[in-house]
Parts: sequence; C-alpha cells; structure tokens
Amino acid sequence: MALRNPATQSADVALPLGRRARASWAGRLGEYAGFAPAILLFGLFFLVPLGLIVCYSFWRTVDYNVVHDWTVDNYRYFFSVPTYVSTVWATIWVSVVATLLTLAVAFPFSYWLARYVPKRYQKILLVLVILPFWTSYLLRVYSWLNILGPGGAINRFLHWTGMTERPVSFFLYDRPAVILVLVYLYFPFAALTLYASLERFDWNQFRAAMDLGATPATAVRRILLPQIRPGITTAVIFVFIPILGEYLTPQLVGGARGVMIGNLIVNFFQGAQYTRGAAAALLIAALIVVLLAVFRRSLEIEDPYGT
Amino acid sequence: MARDLDIVSPRGRLTRGALAVWAACIYAFLFAPIVLLVLFSFNANRYGTFPITGWTVKWYGQVFHDYQIRDALTTTIRIALEVTLVSTVVGTAAAFPLVRSRLPFRSGVRITLVLPIMIPGLLIGVSLLVLFTSVLHQTLSPTTAVIGQSVYTTPFVLLLVAARLQGFDAGLERAASDLGANTYQRLRYVVLPLLAPAILAGALFAFTLSLDEFIITLFLIGNHNTLPIYIYTQVKFGITPEVNALAALLLAASLALMALAFVLPGLVRRGLRLVPRKAAA
Repeated sequence: MALRNPATQSADVALPLGRRARASWAGRLGEYAGFAPAILLFGLFFLVPLGLIVCYSFWRTVDYNVVHDWTVDNYRYFFSVPTYVSTVWATIWVSVVATLLTLAVAFPFSYWLARYVPKRYQKILLVLVILPFWTSYLLRVYSWLNILGPGGAINRFLHWTGMTERPVSFFLYDRPAVILVLVYLYFPFAALTLYASLERFDWNQFRAAMDLGATPATAVRRILLPQIRPGITTAVIFVFIPILGEYLTPQLVGGARGVMIGNLIVNFFQGAQYTRGAAAALLIAALIVVLLAVFRRSLEIEDPYGT
Repeated sequence: MARDLDIVSPRGRLTRGALAVWAACIYAFLFAPIVLLVLFSFNANRYGTFPITGWTVKWYGQVFHDYQIRDALTTTIRIALEVTLVSTVVGTAAAFPLVRSRLPFRSGVRITLVLPIMIPGLLIGVSLLVLFTSVLHQTLSPTTAVIGQSVYTTPFVLLLVAARLQGFDAGLERAASDLGANTYQRLRYVVLPLLAPAILAGALFAFTLSLDEFIITLFLIGNHNTLPIYIYTQVKFGITPEVNALAALLLAASLALMALAFVLPGLVRRGLRLVPRKAAA
C-alpha cells in the first residue's frame, strides 16, 4: 500500500485510498506542487528553446536579422550543398558502425561478467567499467590524442619496432580514429545495459537447451538473445543517440575527413547563421525521433544509469 | 548452480578463458588512455608525450601559478556550486509528485524529465544559445551556463531521489502523522532524513557533472572559461605537459567526488541510525 501524498493534510493521509480520489482541489494541487520548479526549469529552458529551434529552422535570416517568414529555404540550402549531404550520410554511417562495434565489444564482456564471475566480484568489476565514464568527457577524448597523435604511443611504438620510418597519420584525423574513440566513450553505456539484462537471465534454460542437443552458439542465438532483446534495444538507443550529436570527438581526433553533423551545427552557430544551424540541429532531432519510433515498444528508460 | 556443466568440457573451458582474456583487454582499453595521461603529466619531456625522459612535478607547479587556470578554476567551482544548488532543489522537489501522485501521462512526464540526459548536449547548448541571445537578449555569462548545465544535471538528481523514494516505507510517514506530526514535521523529521543519502549523492553527482560539463558550457559561457573549456582552447595549440597535469588533476577531482557520492550516503545513513542496518543496505 503506497502512501501517495506527503504534502497534504494529515487527515487526508488517514483516508482509505478509495476515497482519496475525491480529495479536495487544494489537495490535488498540493500533490503536484513539487513539479513547479521543474516545470519552470524544463519548460522555460528546455522545451521552449527546443520549440524555438524548430521555428528558427523554418525562418529566414536577412542581413543578420531573423525574419519570421515561414519557409523551407534552410533545409533546401542544406541539402543543396553536396558536402553537407555527404556529412549527413557519413554521420549516420559512423553512428551505425560505432554502435554495432560498441555492442559487439560489450556483449562478450557482459556475458562473461554475468555468467562466469562470482556474484561478489561482479559489482566491483562493474564499477571499474563505469569509473572512466564518470570522469570528464572532454578528458576522455583528449587522452586519446596522447595515444593516436603523430608523437603518440602507437606511432612511437611502430617507430621503435622499425615497422614505420616516420609517423603515420592514419591513426588520427580520420574516421577510424573517430569510431575508435566513440566505442571507447560509449562502451560503459552498452556494457551496463547488457549486463543488467544478462544478470536477470536464467542460465538453467541455457543448460536445458544444451541438454536437448543445442550447441552453445545455438543456445546463445535461440535462447539467450531473444530474451535480452529489450536490453539490446536500450543499449542501441543509449549509444546511438549521443553519437549522432557528437561534436568533440570528430573535432579533436577526426580532422577534415571525420566531420559529423555536430561540427556543421557548431560552425553554423559560431558563424551566427542561426536559422541554417537550427535546420541542421533539427535534422539530428529528426533522426533521434525516427530511432525512438522504431524502437518505441522496447524502450526501457526507468533507470538507465543503474542508480 | 554457479558451476556450469559446460565449464567441465575442454571447449567450455576454452570459451571461458577466451572471454576472460577479452575482459582483461577491455579493462586495458578503458584505462590505458587515462593512465598514459597521468604518466605524461609527470614526464620531464617538453612535448607531453613519449619518450619519457625523466620524472618531474614541475608541470603541476606551473598549473598552480597560471593565472588563467586560477580564473577558470574559480569560475568552474562557482558554476558547479550554483548548479548543485539548483538541480538538487528542483530534482528533489520533482521526485515527490513523480513517484507519489496519480499522474496522467506518467510515462510521458517521465520521458520529458529524463530527456535532457538522453538527447545530445549539443542540442541543449544551441537551443539555449538562441533563447538567450536572440530572444531574451542576455549577455552570455557564467549564469547562462549555470542554467544550461542545470537542465542537464537535474534529471540525475531526480532519478536518484525518485529511486530512493520508491523504496520508501510509507508506514513510517503514516505512523508520524498518527502521532500528530503535521506536513512540515513529517517532511523535516521523517522524509528528508531518510532521503538525505540519495539527495547527498545527487548533489555530488550534479557537482561532478557540472565540473566536467563541456558542450553546453561551450555555447553559453561567453567570454569566460571553465577548466574543460580552457583545456579545449589549449588543445587547439597542441598537447602540452601543463595541460596533461591540469587534466590529471581534474580527473583525480572527479574520481574523488564520485567515490564520495558512492561512499558518503552509506556513511550518512549509518550515522543517522534511523534505519536498521540490514534495511539500509
């Protein structure tokens, strides 16, 4: 029996739950009073600005002034520039590859953690995975410059072993570097979500499948994967969405060939082209909405951070 | 139960071994960049990278004497404190109706409240930039950055407090009101002390997140610098050992704060002795 309302009169609390439905208007209002500051914060500084971006994307800039004419010029302009269009495709491509890689790297790990590690060590090993996640996002990207750069660890190593004569820039300022760092950044998201669903899995079913003649691979494919599908979907969403809006990783390690939509948006806004920037930003939002619509059914956002 | 049958088979043992090796590689992958960063910050080499030519702490000394860094540090802490205050109050207040009221469109409200975590910070940053500069005609300042960061940190506090509130024994509050406690007294002497660990953890989360926040701040800070923004502007000129030292310090600070966020609530709970130890765990 849940006591639903802490903020109303004590007499109200003593009422049986059935009668509480007819509680006074004041009581009902008091029930929601806690939302007031949140409505102010999220309404004024989250929802309104997002609405504003939508409007801006359909308005025009004339001589650095925004004119409230409704038009699709910003979108038309965006899609008329071949570099922008190819950047959109590149962003989707990088996001898909990075997401798949992250999950492919995380699944065996979470599987190992949930199945083979004794319960009492699981938690500490999990904390070790999340630990880098709780350090600065900027620094996690930055730290890769020490490894990938021309004077970085990899090039030094190759030089030392005599495999290369001079620094190879392949490791930096291109898409592979971007994808590598993205996998690094979002691995904890995937590992955590996958572990959460693997932990609930009943391994006896797995053994039953093998008793009935299934190979371990078949058992994983036919018994395990279908049951942890919601977890996989959640992992995909929580990895894919932030990657779509990445700015820093392509900026620091991507160079000219690793550009993503995020970089275009920042360039537009820093160049005071608000309406065009808004259109590009809305493009990301649209991609996110499409993704959420596709996975609507298995969306689990109750407690994504395992807090 | 814990022993799987297939572990006994050679093939099962092989799989298990391979997975363990994979996991070891992953931990190396996760920590190598961070460890190298710290290593280089003690490297005497001027270029902030290999080879290691000797050990020194002089870069740390330079960090503490750089007035730009000191400025950025002051701004960062000021912003972080304000963000902590805002998000703790707003998040805690919103957790009550979220968990306890009969909410129409409950899942819709829930999604809206955690949306700022889910959508890329870039979108929050640019949309607030438009609001502040074009609509409200505000000069960008640490205050606008506080607002932007709060939008992002508040949901974390909300989730933490709501989770604790969900597992809250309603009987305690009922007992308090049976004993004549009014709304304020129930809140002050029963509910808040029990929620204190979660609120504290939420506050520490918010502080750490604010300390490290980059993308929203980049758009809203104007002419000022926070430490992440300062590091970012320095990185454009290449890696220097000073930046590595500063980065190492910032890493240490966030790790220490997060550790505190996990440990402190437990200590507070035990210190209050309001709940039997078993229930508290």
